Order: sequence, then C-alpha cells, then structure tokens
Amino acid sequence: MTDQELQATEKQQIAHPEGEFTREGTYFVPAVDIYENSKELILLADMPGVRTGDAEVDLKEGTLTIVGKVGGESDQGEPILTEYRIGSYFRSFRLTDVIDQGKITAGMSDGVLKLTMPKVEKAIPRKIAISAD
Amino acid sequence: MFRWRFGADPTWREIDRLQRSMDDLFNALSGTRKPSLDPLWRGARLFPLLNVRDLDQSYVVTAEIPGMKTEDLEIKIEGDTLMLKGERKPQEVGDEISYHRRERATGTFQRSLTLPGKVDAENVSATYKDGVLTVTLQKEKATLPRQITVKTE
Repeated sequence: MTDQELQATEKQQIAHPEGEFTREGTYFVPAVDIYENSKELILLADMPGVRTGDAEVDLKEGTLTIVGKVGGESDQGEPILTEYRIGSYFRSFRLTDVIDQGKITAGMSDGVLKLTMPKVEKAIPRKIAISAD
Repeated sequence: MFRWRFGADPTWREIDRLQRSMDDLFNALSGTRKPSLDPLWRGARLFPLLNVRDLDQSYVVTAEIPGMKTEDLEIKIEGDTLMLKGERKPQEVGDEISYHRRERATGTFQRSLTLPGKVDAENVSATYKDGVLTVTLQKEKATLPRQITVKTE
C-alpha cells in the first residue's frame, strides 16, 4: 500500500448545503474514511485549512453534520497558478442506532477531523462462554 | 481564462454518480475497467495540487496535504525549481476493523514546480499548519523589478 503513488483529484463542490449552513461562500465535500472496530465507529475527514476552532460537528435527529470553515484566500500579490480552489467543507451522514449518540467525541489535527463514535452496549459483540455439561 | 471543470456542475455530478454505478456494475460483470470513463482517472493529476502567488519580492506556493507528519515531507530547491516529495501514511487503525468508506488517499508523491523567475535558494522558508503547506521563496535580488526615476531637465 505504501508504494502506491498519490493522484490528485479535484474537489467536489456542493451546490446547496442544507439547512442552517447555507451561508455565503463555496462549500466542498471533504474526503472521509469511516471504519469500525468492535466497540466504536471512527470517522476521519480531510479538511485542510480548517483550524481546530473552525470545525463544527452537529448532531440532530440522528443526522451528523460536519462543517469546516475556511477563511478567505490570501489576497496578497498576484495569482500565477491556481490548481485548487479554497472553500469551506460540509458533509452530513445518517447515524444508525448502533451509535451511542451522547458519547461522540471529536478532535482536529493537521486539517484532519477525527470523530470517535462509541457503539451502544448491546451492539458490542460479546463472546459467550460455552460450558461443558 | 475559462476552464471547464467536470464535476463542478450539480447536473454533471448526478450523471457522474449514475455513471459510476453503471461502471461498477460493468466491472463486476466483466472485470475490465474503462479508464476514460472513470471519474477518478479523468480528474487525476500530479499530487499535490499547487497554488502559486507572486508577491513582488517573493513567490508563495501553497498545497493542501492534510494529516502529514513533517518528517515525511521533503522540500528541495534547485535553481528555479521547487521539488516536493513525501509520503502520506495511513492512520493507525488497529486490527479487526472494517471500512465502511475509504476516500482519503494515502501513498507517496513527488512533484516539481519551475517558478517563473530565479529565487534565492538561501532564502526559502516553509510552514505546515492545519494541513496546508506554505513555501515562501524570496526572489533573487538581481531580478527584482527596479523603479526608474524620471528626471526632468
């Protein structure tokens, strides 16, 4: 896996981010990884340019929304090359009942948002001991 | 200069999505991939994408590379060419995990950029903050535009 060469892809822009987040500005869809282990679901979202304080995670009626606000582009000097656009990030997900919604924690580092979503007790796989009769 | 961007128009994205489902079905049945129709291939370019600004006395190059460790990043300057090289390693995930979605690419990258003018190799600085790499290169003194005063006789 580490020998693989990275390819650049263009950011996908969202036409209308729903609900309260319809503010001025361009919004892009952040790339995410979602994986689960036996006790929790982890979500990683790439939101470069978003400072820790500028990320918002919102949970309402089972819908998880992540927003990363990015400040305006620097207007110093003249642009000579513009291969990528700058804008905020928005993405939302439906959460299943497997997640204990009250226990979700979030952290941000180097432009990557990490959400840890513990599963509810009954969703955690348990080994059942077999006793010999 | 107008650039046509695939994927920027919502209508295209719906069609893209449909195309992708059709492609997946096609691949599942035949095992061959049609590269020209693969949206990822169409948009693929050198990584990372760069923005360059000309600030009178310097050039500022920015790239978005979230989740990197600075020790996995190498920046070199040779004449008027900047070279970025590195590896984006996957996050530690532990064993016995299963992925629901895997969109964040990991791997190696190497990219060179030739700047429009000569730079002072001794005067290059780079910072990495919030996933954005910013390289500031001071232009070589001899190439700086000089104001010419007009004397009246």
